[in-house]
Amino acid sequence: MKLSIKDQIGPRGIIREDGQKIYDAIRGALQNGETVTLDFAGVNQFASPFFNFAIGQLLKDIAEADLRRLLQIEHLNETGRLVVERVIENAAKYHGDKDYRKIVDDILEQQARESG
Amino acid sequence: MAQKVIRIPTLNDGPHDFARLFGIWSETNDYFEDIRFDFSHCNFLRPNAVAFLGGLARLIQSRWKTVTFDRSTLHHSAVMANLCQNGFAGTFAYPSSGWDGNSIPYREDKALDMNGIMDYLTYNWIGKGWVHVSDRLRDAIAGRMWEIYSNAFEHSGTEIGVFSCGQHYRRQNNLILSAVDFGRGIPANVRFFLRQHVEDALVSKLSGAACLKWAFERGNSTCTGGVARGLGLDLLKEFVRLNQGKLEIYSNDGYAIVDKDGERYENRDFAFEGTVMHITLRCDENLYRFRDEAE
Repeated sequence: MKLSIKDQIGPRGIIREDGQKIYDAIRGALQNGETVTLDFAGVNQFASPFFNFAIGQLLKDIAEADLRRLLQIEHLNETGRLVVERVIENAAKYHGDKDYRKIVDDILEQQARESG
Repeated sequence: MAQKVIRIPTLNDGPHDFARLFGIWSETNDYFEDIRFDFSHCNFLRPNAVAFLGGLARLIQSRWKTVTFDRSTLHHSAVMANLCQNGFAGTFAYPSSGWDGNSIPYREDKALDMNGIMDYLTYNWIGKGWVHVSDRLRDAIAGRMWEIYSNAFEHSGTEIGVFSCGQHYRRQNNLILSAVDFGRGIPANVRFFLRQHVEDALVSKLSGAACLKWAFERGNSTCTGGVARGLGLDLLKEFVRLNQGKLEIYSNDGYAIVDKDGERYENRDFAFEGTVMHITLRCDENLYRFRDEAE
């Protein structure tokens, strides 16, 4: 399967709604083990919400190694590549069930250290 | 009708100036039906003040009060010229259409208008010719700046939108953009989010600075829904550091600064309900190149 991103959303990969469109279009094929190529020719501007939804959330459905094997990316500029890599790293580490009690305790501990 | 006259002082973009802006915000929270801004003591307004006052006017109007920018008090020709040039005067019912100069237009976004905001950042801000950058780099910088608007609309709960203004200062060779919202504020948002998981008594102890610091760390987000987020501010910080610029955030009682010396978080004595993101970039062309772009 090959998808022209510009045909789907235009020249800007910025907002999460456009990312969701891409996710909806490719998730099934990837889950079936098909190779998917995203062609970014003609798309010049990128921001993290787009990639969080287009690619990052695929890691809910597919293991990172499988995603890297099955998802091919073409004609994506350096900026876009950097954001995609960050998004994949971030999504791979993401857990919906964080220990927020520990997070608050850690922040308070640091706060006390800094004010003391 | 109870009328309040608020004198607008000369406003730069130092901490003292922001404190005065938040003081003005506080004054407008008292009960008055009509608020008049008097500029007779104002000799200079930086874009952060323009964006803030414009947003404040919309906030006042959203509470069914009236607000007037008293033109008869605009004695200082430079202030008047600046407000006309950046389109602020025209927005608030004075006959002026703005013109090209060193100012980056005053802008109001009630909703997240992707193409409108990206065009503003791409062509009116970074791409206006203040600094010669390739189209590729211009597009990359605009994408990083987008994260400001994305954060404001996604997290602040602002009901009246986001207000922006900028300026190129030729002498300092700086490019400034200020974006203001009158939403909940980042610390309030972080506390609200954490209270859903941890008891209130502990969360209430978190300072504004600590909340801002948490929000600025890569991967931390108050969004729920199973999609990893929390990269926007991190990407923005990284860009500002590479540019040797400065990113300042005032939100509730918290203050954050990212510059060449690192990042610092402080608690302030003054506070307001909302967030100001104030970015100063250096227009040094040596700082604006991809690795593969030749000198």
